[in-house]
Amino acid sequence: MADAELKQKVEELIAANPVLLFMKGTPEAPRCGFSMRVVQVLDSMDAEYGAIDVLPALQPLREVTTEISDWQTFPQLYVNGELLGGADIVEEMFDSGELAEALGVEQPEAVSAPAGPPAQSPPLQIE
Amino acid sequence: MADLAEIQQMIEAALPGAEVEVADETGTADHLRATVSAPQFKGLSRLDQHRMVKAAVKPRFDDGAIHALSLKTEPLG
Repeated sequence: MADAELKQKVEELIAANPVLLFMKGTPEAPRCGFSMRVVQVLDSMDAEYGAIDVLPALQPLREVTTEISDWQTFPQLYVNGELLGGADIVEEMFDSGELAEALGVEQPEAVSAPAGPPAQSPPLQIE
Repeated sequence: MADLAEIQQMIEAALPGAEVEVADETGTADHLRATVSAPQFKGLSRLDQHRMVKAAVKPRFDDGAIHALSLKTEPLG
């Protein structure tokens, strides 16, 4: 059973952020290869997104996302309030152009190896 | 550390008729990659397809044998 207060906080964050990434580490310093892959995809599209580092509260957040989305692993990318997927699904959707469509951005011409400085978003905090 | 053959059998048992390939990503047998084509996936979102595979191997996540499972899924037939 997930912590009710934390669950409410997470639901509020998902509702308030059109594109929200739950990840291990931060976009500037990902602490897991899967999280890093999603950051690279989003940055290559110049997508604006909020990011939450789950590591400080990994198990409680796992319980919350299990209840909200029936998904236990991180990263998790939410777009317009809905779980899109983890790293595998996000990359597949990027390659097929579905991600650009979901985010309402242009598909970058080079499909791999994003270049340039990452678009940075301030990290969000869960108190 | 997981037994790759057992992981494959768990997925096949949950999804009869599926074509399943399981590979060791890191050489340590705890970060795996699986490709699963299953007739049961027809009409399901990728999320639901992944949920079905993850549910099939959940005991090996719970006991720590697997740390990560990278998935590629598609409907079969």
